Amino acid sequence: MRDDDFKKPASKEKTIKNDSGKKSGRVHLTLPFLYALIIILPLFSLIIWSFTQSWPWPFAFPQSIGLRGWKYFFDVTSKSLSILSLSLCLACCAAFLSILISIPAARALAFYRFKGRKYIELMIFIPVIVSPAAVAMGVHMQFIKWGIANTFFAVMLIHMVFCIPYSVRLLKNAFEITGEDMEIQARVLGANTRQVFSHITFPSLLPALISSFGLTFIISMSQYFITYLIGGGRIVTFAMLMFPYIQNADRITGSVYSLVFIMVTLIFLSIAEKMMNRMYKDKIKENFYV
Amino acid sequence: MKLRPYIMIAPVVLLLTATLGAGMISAGMQSLGYFPAAGLDYITFKYYKEVLQSPEFFSSMGFSLYISLVSSIIAVIAAIILSFSLIESKKLRRFFLPVLRIPVIVPHIAATMMMISILSQTGMISRLLYHSGIIGSYESFPSFLYTRNAIGIILVYIWKEIPFVTLAVYAILSRINLSFRDAAANLGANRRQIFFHIYLPLIMPSAISSFILIFAFSFGAYEVPFLLGPSYPRAAAVEAFVRYTDPSLANRPYAMAINMIMITAAFIMTWIYMKLFEKTHNRY
Repeated sequence: MRDDDFKKPASKEKTIKNDSGKKSGRVHLTLPFLYALIIILPLFSLIIWSFTQSWPWPFAFPQSIGLRGWKYFFDVTSKSLSILSLSLCLACCAAFLSILISIPAARALAFYRFKGRKYIELMIFIPVIVSPAAVAMGVHMQFIKWGIANTFFAVMLIHMVFCIPYSVRLLKNAFEITGEDMEIQARVLGANTRQVFSHITFPSLLPALISSFGLTFIISMSQYFITYLIGGGRIVTFAMLMFPYIQNADRITGSVYSLVFIMVTLIFLSIAEKMMNRMYKDKIKENFYV
Repeated sequence: MKLRPYIMIAPVVLLLTATLGAGMISAGMQSLGYFPAAGLDYITFKYYKEVLQSPEFFSSMGFSLYISLVSSIIAVIAAIILSFSLIESKKLRRFFLPVLRIPVIVPHIAATMMMISILSQTGMISRLLYHSGIIGSYESFPSFLYTRNAIGIILVYIWKEIPFVTLAVYAILSRINLSFRDAAANLGANRRQIFFHIYLPLIMPSAISSFILIFAFSFGAYEVPFLLGPSYPRAAAVEAFVRYTDPSLANRPYAMAINMIMITAAFIMTWIYMKLFEKTHNRY
């Protein structure tokens, strides 16, 4: 998308870019590549460690390779797979519900001017900036009083609190960019509310829905402290399962769990993205004949 | 009709007030010493006073401040440089933008695991230095983890935050009309002048707002300083939680006082953030 924007003033652009681009091209490249290495290399160290049996200092390569970490992960007694599925389920619920209640809120913030709007925006922004740990301790006391502490529901609620700022922000931007004109047009042409939603609102919102689902899913999956506190040890998520291994600097098991976390998130999100994108493309073909 | 936006926004507001609002009120009450479950039922500023007089509180606040300031400043500067490189070359963008998404997916605790396997005294770098003959034993490798210099913690944050800030700054940069730059270049401005007089003022609001976001996050975070920090000083959130889990309930108000101070600091930052956004809105 961005690249197309750059192409527009093509002829003039290119001459100028070549002038300044060539001289400093190499300097500009080394830094990003160095940074890309810094991002990617640690991942390789995780992969190597996860297949290690023993690797004492100062050897540069593992002394013996084995599947100790992976065997432990797939062992039934470690409960890894069941905890992982609970985590995925929790993250999906938290992401889905926070998006569900963010849609009307984002729409209201994008299209309506009303009293107290500024304060509501500020309020929605609070979870991003306030320390989750500091707030969670107060919330924990409150949840105990209400008798919902240490339940799946309570953990999901507290995850949603930290998801909402992001989903509202992304959806609000989407609403502002699309505007209301298309919907009004459809309504003028005689479409009913359901038709307007399924043919106009939903397809135009889909990219933002996909990205907010991805982001809120990751936020929920990565939470350790608030899950630990509000779940009271009863609700164990994958992040909580891997925490002790990292705390004890158990590199083999810690690496296996970290890798599984990263891969599962990646696979899960790319499947979700593909599915939603396919829907989006069908909708475009149906409605706009492009 | 007038009620409509309020109804639309109600679920979100309800959730936030029921959790955050109620949580902050109960934390606030307890920090003031109102805690009937522990037999405390009169309101007092005693806990704030004692917390504000304790050296542990100041060293933990200072430690958190040091970690979040250093990591956020480095992350923002690196991100600005990176996003300029991204603007320059399309090929680089194609390769680099997907790479930038990796640290977003990796949670802080997994990034901590990586940092341990690389930077600890028996980590990769120490092994490399041994083989290149620079150090003779792992004890002579300087310790970056579990120490007061907090370099491990800072590096985890930088690793996680550079992509976040880069994407924010790049989004603004890619929208800036290139004719500004071309006009300036035409009039004889050099690269440095173009950077300081055209680009920097335009990206400043987004750079500052992302700075505040990552600063606030790393200031209030628990996981990474708990895993990689020294036993003294502790980061603010860790200090508060240690007091929170104290077996004696009478110590809870101290934890809540620390929490309330952190929350107040966050509100002040939010206010600054909002003011900044108002300004940029008016300017453009």
